[in-house]
Amino acid sequence: MDFKGAYVRALRGVREDVRLYLVAISSLTVAFLCLGGALLGVANLTALSERWGRSDRMSIYLRDDAPEVDVSRLTMALQEHPAVAKANYNSAEVSRARFLDGNSALRDLPRSAFPATIELELKPNAHPKALTQIAESVAAQRSVVEEVDTYRSWFERIAALIGAGRTLVIVLASLVLACVMAIVANTIRLAVASRREEIEVLKMCGATNAFVRAPFVLEGTAQGLCAALLSLGVLALAFFALRAEVGGALRSFLDMQPVFLSPLVMLGLLVAGGAVGAAGSALSVRRYIRV
Amino acid sequence: MGTQDSGARRAARPFAFFRAGKDEPQNLSKPILVLEKVFKYFQRDTPTLRGIDLTIERGEFVFITGPSGSGKSTLLQLIYRKIAPDEGRILFSGKDVSRLTEASIPYLRRNMGVVFQDFKVMPHWTVYENVSIALEILDLPPRLIRSRVGEALERVGLAGRGDDRTSTLSGGEQQRVAIARAIVGEPALLIADEPTGNLDPTLALDILTLFEEINQHGTTVVFATHDHSLLSVRTHRLLVLEDGRLTEARQGLSGWAQRKHAQTA
Repeated sequence: MDFKGAYVRALRGVREDVRLYLVAISSLTVAFLCLGGALLGVANLTALSERWGRSDRMSIYLRDDAPEVDVSRLTMALQEHPAVAKANYNSAEVSRARFLDGNSALRDLPRSAFPATIELELKPNAHPKALTQIAESVAAQRSVVEEVDTYRSWFERIAALIGAGRTLVIVLASLVLACVMAIVANTIRLAVASRREEIEVLKMCGATNAFVRAPFVLEGTAQGLCAALLSLGVLALAFFALRAEVGGALRSFLDMQPVFLSPLVMLGLLVAGGAVGAAGSALSVRRYIRV
Repeated sequence: MGTQDSGARRAARPFAFFRAGKDEPQNLSKPILVLEKVFKYFQRDTPTLRGIDLTIERGEFVFITGPSGSGKSTLLQLIYRKIAPDEGRILFSGKDVSRLTEASIPYLRRNMGVVFQDFKVMPHWTVYENVSIALEILDLPPRLIRSRVGEALERVGLAGRGDDRTSTLSGGEQQRVAIARAIVGEPALLIADEPTGNLDPTLALDILTLFEEINQHGTTVVFATHDHSLLSVRTHRLLVLEDGRLTEARQGLSGWAQRKHAQTA
């Protein structure tokens, strides 16, 4: 295979109809932008699911008759645990005062409704199973601990909701991918159709199918790569501009920073762009190559 | 082992061993083209070609004429294997082209030059690019391509016009570019499908003369036309295709074939 010759002929093909080439790249960029947007949605929902689907807080409700010495020992033991960031003891009075803060309607609730607690927060890098292990060992100390609440059920529900949203976005991304394939195939087919006479002449002169196909595949690969690169650029610009605007609000509301596509996904998008362009060209040329 | 490999390759691609214009010595004594009982159907029970028998010797100049729709283009397309016959055999240099695999067809076509009525030149390409593409396919060194394209352009009267864009040329000049592309590979057979159909009578005669000059260098020419003004001013062999049947209307020998005939006699 003469790659240099194919490259020269591909350049000649581009030069021949630069406008059609640019239109093809624009269409492909829009298609890849949709795909990239959908993938960005998947990436952020995955990050949100990981962040929210993992509970890193625990409330340990203490017995009213728990000896102070045991409570102090438990609090200290928790503070020294390598996975724990904070373990604060709140007396029954403090718990009551916090709950009733500005809420006069509940002032008549009995004192026993507000047990003393230890509020525990894990380190961000703590092992996902650390919370369960701590909860089990704490709950075993029945002389001190009344109940342990890890809020897991709440987090699991949120995680399920986010998971459903992510599945929906993945389905949408698949649909977008199918549309991208159709757009790529049609755009490239249009470009190839405009040069069917060239293909016919080459075949009449004795060109093999590989010789005819090579420049078209090179052009398709270049188109796909350019479009994928452009769409990533546009997506990155839009993402970082938007993050500068609403990133703070999102962080305080969702407790997470929006994430951009991982390098692996970006590389995948570029490779997919090139591959889809090459395959689209090869398939489109096949239609005219039988001369 | 090597011989076996080469034999297998030869069987799969019977024309692969041809270099353009370079036939095997044992083939030189055979007619360049033989059609035996060739039928082609596009509609059931209505053959476009009905049992065509034809032999064309090396170096001949043959006119094929007939009314529009008589099957002239179909006959030529069978020869350069754009389509395959439904019945019969087509032997090019003794080998049956109708049995070729798709992968072998390019190697057959490298031994033929084809010229069309609508020129089929790339308007955005230069004259040089339009001609050199036929040699780029053969993967020849650039220096050799340059010299051979230069020679071909000189033969068709377009010397020094290599850098011109083809779209800026007249119809007659564009057809000359197409002829240069067809002959630059030094094919054994030159097929012309109504090459003067889009040209005025004076230019048509010029183009016919150009084909005759090419024929005088030894290339066999099959020239399909329904232009009677051309047929009447030349004495080449004339075949008439009508209702799918081919009849010999006039015997003739080109100058080159006459010379060769005299040498061998």
